[in-house]
Amino acid sequence: MRLTARFPVLLILLLPGVAASAADLHPPAQVVAGSSFSIPSNGGGKATFYLLGPSHVLKREVNLGQAIAVDGDDVQTSGKYLAIACTGHSCDSASFYVVAGNPDRLSFLLHPSRVPVSAGGAINATAFVFDNFKNLVLKPVTVDFHVTPKNGAPFTKTVKAERGVAWMKMSSTPKEGPVKVTATIGSAAEPRIIQQVASDACNLRIKASRTAKGVLVETDPVRDCSGNAVPDGTIVSFTAVDSKGKTTVDAPIKKGIARTELPLSGNARISVASGVVIGNEITVGGRS
Amino acid sequence: MKAGRWNTFRVGLTLALFVVTVAASTLVLRSVHADSLPQVQINADGIAPRPIEELTGRNVTRDYANAWRDLSEALANNKPDLLNAYFTGFAKDNFSKLISDQKKTGIRVRYIDHGHQVRAFFYAPDGGEMQLLDKAKIEQQVLDGDQVIQQENTTRQYLVLMTPGADRWFIRSLELVPDSAAP
Repeated sequence: MRLTARFPVLLILLLPGVAASAADLHPPAQVVAGSSFSIPSNGGGKATFYLLGPSHVLKREVNLGQAIAVDGDDVQTSGKYLAIACTGHSCDSASFYVVAGNPDRLSFLLHPSRVPVSAGGAINATAFVFDNFKNLVLKPVTVDFHVTPKNGAPFTKTVKAERGVAWMKMSSTPKEGPVKVTATIGSAAEPRIIQQVASDACNLRIKASRTAKGVLVETDPVRDCSGNAVPDGTIVSFTAVDSKGKTTVDAPIKKGIARTELPLSGNARISVASGVVIGNEITVGGRS
Repeated sequence: MKAGRWNTFRVGLTLALFVVTVAASTLVLRSVHADSLPQVQINADGIAPRPIEELTGRNVTRDYANAWRDLSEALANNKPDLLNAYFTGFAKDNFSKLISDQKKTGIRVRYIDHGHQVRAFFYAPDGGEMQLLDKAKIEQQVLDGDQVIQQENTTRQYLVLMTPGADRWFIRSLELVPDSAAP
C-alpha cells in the first residue's frame, strides 16, 4: 500500500539526488515468534523503516535495496505485523504474520477444588497451550491429562488442543481423598490437586436409649453409598414427635457419629435426616 | 390589540424554537454516544461444550464493545490507563507495551471502528473462559507525529479469549490471525 505524504513534490523534483526511490518490501508471509529474519527491499537511498506489531513498535533508518534485518526480539508476540518504509515523499507497506513457536508452557485450570465422590462429569479441566513467549499455540497439539487418585489406579486422558485450548470433563472416582491431575505437553507439566469428599449420607440409621434426663439418640457411623465417612461437621437433624408436639434438634457429626439428648418422658416417634437424605424412624416408650 | 397578538406570536415562536433546540440537542447527544461505542453482534449458535446463557451473551457483547472503545482511545491518545477496565493478562500487557513504544517512537495507531461480527465457539464447562472469533471492519491509520504514513480499511480477524471478572468480562487475549485460523 502506498500513501503520498504531505511533502512538497516540487522539492523532490528539485533534489533528485537526495530523494530515495520508492521502497518495495517483501517480508515472508509467516515468521515464527522470536526468530530473526530479513525483509528484502527494492529501491535505493535512505528510508525510515517502521515495524508495527501487537506489542511493539520499531522505527529506524535503513538503506533501501538491501535486506532489512529484523531481530527476533522485535517479533516475540504472535499476530499481524506491519512493515512500513518511508522515503521523503512516499511510504510502502507490507504485512506478515508471526505465529507461536512450539508448545513450551501450560496454563491449567481445574474445577471445582472439592467434589463429591462418584459425581458424573463433575470435574472440568481446561489447559491453555503457550510457547516460550506466552503466545497461544494455535496449531493442533496434544495435551495429556494424567489423573492420579489417592486410592485407585492412575489413568491418562489425551486431548487435542484446538486454537490453544484443550479441555476435558470427567467423573469423580468412588473413594474420597486427593486426586492429582497433571496437564502435560512436551516437557511442560502443570499439576493441580482436587479434593474428593464423601457424598450424601446413605442408609442413615439411629438408635435410642433412655437416660436420666430423657432419650439419647445417636446415629450409626454416617457413610455415603461408597462407604466413605461423611465429614465431621455435617449437620444431622433429629425430629421427635410426642404428645407435646414436634421438636427438632440439629447436631453435627463428630468422629463419624451424630448424637443428641432429647428431653422426652412419654411415648415418642423419632426420625433422622441429613440434607436430602431421610433415615429410619424409631418409637420410644414412656418412662415406667 | 395588534401588539398583543404580536407578543403572543413571539412567545410561541420562542417556545417552539426552544423545544426544537432541546430535541435536536438530545438527538445529537444520543448520536454521539452511539457512535462512541462500536457495533458488536455476537452469534453463539455453534458454541460448545456449554451453551451460553442469554444474560451472559448480553454482557459479553456489551463488555467487548466497551473494550474496543477503550482500546481505540488508549492507542490513539497513548493512555494505557484506559486498558484497566476491560483488559487483563497478556492482552493488557501487550497493549500497554505497545503504548509505551508508541510514546518512545512518536508512532500512533488510530482505529476507526466499523463494527464487529463475532462468533463465540468455545465456552468452558465451568464458565471460566470463552473463545471468540471476531471479523472486524477496522480502518487503521498509522501516524508518525501528525503525519499518516499508512492506512488501510479492511475486514480483519481476531481470535479472542475472554474471562469473567466480578462484574464484567475481560479480554485476556486479542490476536489478529489469518483466515486459516477460523474454526
